[in-house]
Amino acid sequence: MNAPSVSADLGSQLITLMAALMLVLQLLLVVENRVLTGIRLYAIQSLFLAGIAGVVAFFNNAVDVYIVAALTVLGKVVFLPWLLNRQVRRIQIVQEIEPLFNAPTAMLVCGGLTLLGYIVARPFTGLERLGNNTLAIAITLVLTGFFLMFNRRKALTQVLALLTVENGVMLAAIALTTYGMPLVVEFGIFFDVLVAVMILGILVYRIRESFASMDTSKLNQLKG
Amino acid sequence: MPVDAILSAAPLKFALLCYVAGAFAGLVFFRFERAATLLSFGCAALASLCGLAVCAAALAGGMAAANPSFDLLPSLVPWMQFTVRLDPLGAFFGLVVSLLGLAISVYSLGYARGFYGRKNVGVLGAFFNALLLATTLVFLSGNAFFFLIAWEIMALTAYCLVSFEHEKDEARNAGVLFFVMSHLGTGCLILGFLLLFQASGGYGFDGFHALGDAMSPGKRDAAFLLFLVGFGVKAGIVPLHIWLPSAHPVAPSNVSAFMSGVMIKAGIYGLARAFFDFLGPPPGWWGVTVLSLGVISAVLGVLYALMEHDLKRLLAYHSIENIGIILMGLGAALMFLHSGHPVLAALALIAGLYHTINHAVFKALLFLGAGAVLHATHTRNMEEMGGLAKRMRWTALFFLVGAVAISALPPLNGFVSEWLTYQALLQGFGTTASLVRIMFPISGAMLALTGALAAACFVKAFGITFLAQPRGEHAAQAQEAPFTMLLGQGILTAACVFLGLFPTVFLKLLDPLTQQLTGEKLSGQLTAANGLALSNGALSGGTVSMLGIAFAGLALLAAPLVLRGLFAARAKTRLAPTWDCGQPGLTPRMEYTATGFSKPIRMIFKALFRPRREMQREYDFSPYFATTLRFESHVEEVFQTRIYRPLVRQVLRVSRRLRALQAGSIQAYLIYIFLTLLALLIFAL
Repeated sequence: MNAPSVSADLGSQLITLMAALMLVLQLLLVVENRVLTGIRLYAIQSLFLAGIAGVVAFFNNAVDVYIVAALTVLGKVVFLPWLLNRQVRRIQIVQEIEPLFNAPTAMLVCGGLTLLGYIVARPFTGLERLGNNTLAIAITLVLTGFFLMFNRRKALTQVLALLTVENGVMLAAIALTTYGMPLVVEFGIFFDVLVAVMILGILVYRIRESFASMDTSKLNQLKG
Repeated sequence: MPVDAILSAAPLKFALLCYVAGAFAGLVFFRFERAATLLSFGCAALASLCGLAVCAAALAGGMAAANPSFDLLPSLVPWMQFTVRLDPLGAFFGLVVSLLGLAISVYSLGYARGFYGRKNVGVLGAFFNALLLATTLVFLSGNAFFFLIAWEIMALTAYCLVSFEHEKDEARNAGVLFFVMSHLGTGCLILGFLLLFQASGGYGFDGFHALGDAMSPGKRDAAFLLFLVGFGVKAGIVPLHIWLPSAHPVAPSNVSAFMSGVMIKAGIYGLARAFFDFLGPPPGWWGVTVLSLGVISAVLGVLYALMEHDLKRLLAYHSIENIGIILMGLGAALMFLHSGHPVLAALALIAGLYHTINHAVFKALLFLGAGAVLHATHTRNMEEMGGLAKRMRWTALFFLVGAVAISALPPLNGFVSEWLTYQALLQGFGTTASLVRIMFPISGAMLALTGALAAACFVKAFGITFLAQPRGEHAAQAQEAPFTMLLGQGILTAACVFLGLFPTVFLKLLDPLTQQLTGEKLSGQLTAANGLALSNGALSGGTVSMLGIAFAGLALLAAPLVLRGLFAARAKTRLAPTWDCGQPGLTPRMEYTATGFSKPIRMIFKALFRPRREMQREYDFSPYFATTLRFESHVEEVFQTRIYRPLVRQVLRVSRRLRALQAGSIQAYLIYIFLTLLALLIFAL
């Protein structure tokens, strides 16, 4: 590594810290019942992601990663939470209904998934340039995000879970490569997510209109 | 790129573009039926004429230089190049598709009129062009991905054309059956190509060449079986043939001609490509398997054909028979390669490929003839035809030529390739000391049986359809087909005669091909008497001169005329009906029926056909004076009832159980995905 070792250590520690905080926020999200709080948790998690990108950019003097960081702040910390907030107010939901697993069980499952994430990531730790265990946390975010997606029934929470999965993917990209993925790919993912959320937002609204509920488990009424 | 490569690439690109233009023209002008017909089929004819010139020139030029190849489109994904490559094997099949494409396109100019005001002719033209384009690309692609894409487009456009008259239940069902079987085959092909990829590290056909040595025997045999099934479905090898007799008849006749003439040959192309080009020196059992399948297909195909009285179904079953004969050639070639006789292998391969183009030509001719008959009588049931020879003179003549050719009677082309097949099989007995050699005389005997039965079948097909008195109202009012339809048939008739009379000229074109696949050139050895006669390649010195036979035949035909000219002046001439034995008043009800004609065969092969008949007679006072009589006769289709129905039942039963998985709940689906992900992660540890 070319950068002075002190600052690289500092960067490493910063990244590890912020990644750990992302994981904590994810776990909070798993047990959080109020949708609005959930959105806020997601916004903070995205802020930490942007922070990690910023640190990576700073220590590698990579301009395009700054752009990624800026886009993350704009999109995931400001715009998407605002969009979701508006959606929540429009369809007036406050609380999640009963999840598939209750909070303690969900915590246990997520603990197991975290363990799995760490085990899976172990062979790759040598590939990480900055920070320890960032990849493990990224995999854990993907897995728990997935878990969150099927644990909840409200379409909005599922959208939120999808977004955290995407955060995990982004984190993995930043952890594994110095400069993150090529900018074009990041743009691609970013706009994919944006479009997906917009479409899902509309769908959520439609589901609500047609079924007078946002419970996706009622969708099986569509089956012939 | 060498100069001749550029020279052959430009016309080839032009031909491919013409097909595309034809497809679009059909779609754009679909409201103007005449314009759509003229433009789309005109483009197809132009494109195939161009392709014909390119392929024939390439084969005649010997193709000694590197195979000309170019990328049709820029590559989008690594490994996937749209390489068009003109190698000898591809050029030969390109020749077949272009020749048939030309004749059928010309024919279609007239044939499409039958759909005016009833169906969308523009769509027919568009799909037809797409089918021709895809089939050409199948033969010319030099990359497994590109090949599979072309293969799929070919299957899908063929599906659309089979169900073109989708208002008929029959067409829809046949379409679905074709679709399912075709994809079963494609699945096998994908697996086969993946095995090849594993061994070569790429998807280019150049890299696949002679891969057999680089693969473990187990994988090589697996690839052999996968390709055999995958391409066998398309070729219509028994027992994978069931889609063929239902799909070919319901398609519009020009499409049937193309499917039977060329599309099933794509299967043969794939088999030849995979076995001779890719999988390297073959183990002994491959040849035995292919030869046995060929024998079974040939015999069963012709037997089922004999039982048909639907003219187009009859022809479709004959396609199975002829695919069997082609496979006999390929199988024998594999066996010779195994036992180290490349010259004989080349001979057997030539026999198979010669029969490929022959069958393409005469089967397309027969289907076009059947189309003309259908056009005129609006029925496919032979029992309602008859007497058409007087009303449709040219069609009858062309159909007769096709029938003689497919029955392997000299001097037409069917005889040449079957003669070569016999020669290869008969010489095979001495090539090996193992018990396997008994296969050769048995196959030869079976080929003889097939030829005899085919002749019987076409006596029936021609006799019942064209001779005697009309059995139905439509047949009585039939009119000759329009000029373009006759011209299309005429082109193929000329090809039949040419391939029959001048085999030595055509054999020269096959030289680069046998050189590529077996390392031997045979046209010199097979030519005797300065190109006037065909020799069997030296072993026992048998020769046959097609021109000689033709002249002898003509002389025999001319003799009565000459004699009559000499003596008729003195004889008295009396005109009378031919077959009424002096008792006037023959009616169509006294004629032989198609069912009646084939009864002896049905009885001989009772064990196979399991004929079932029901008769109900109602009478008032004496059984000798019946008031009504109802007669039904069925032949069991063994493969459907014994293999496919039980198989389908099992699949359905399993599917019903699996249906519980499809709960319709998003959460359940998410859990499936999640569990799969977890399983894969843990598996990767």
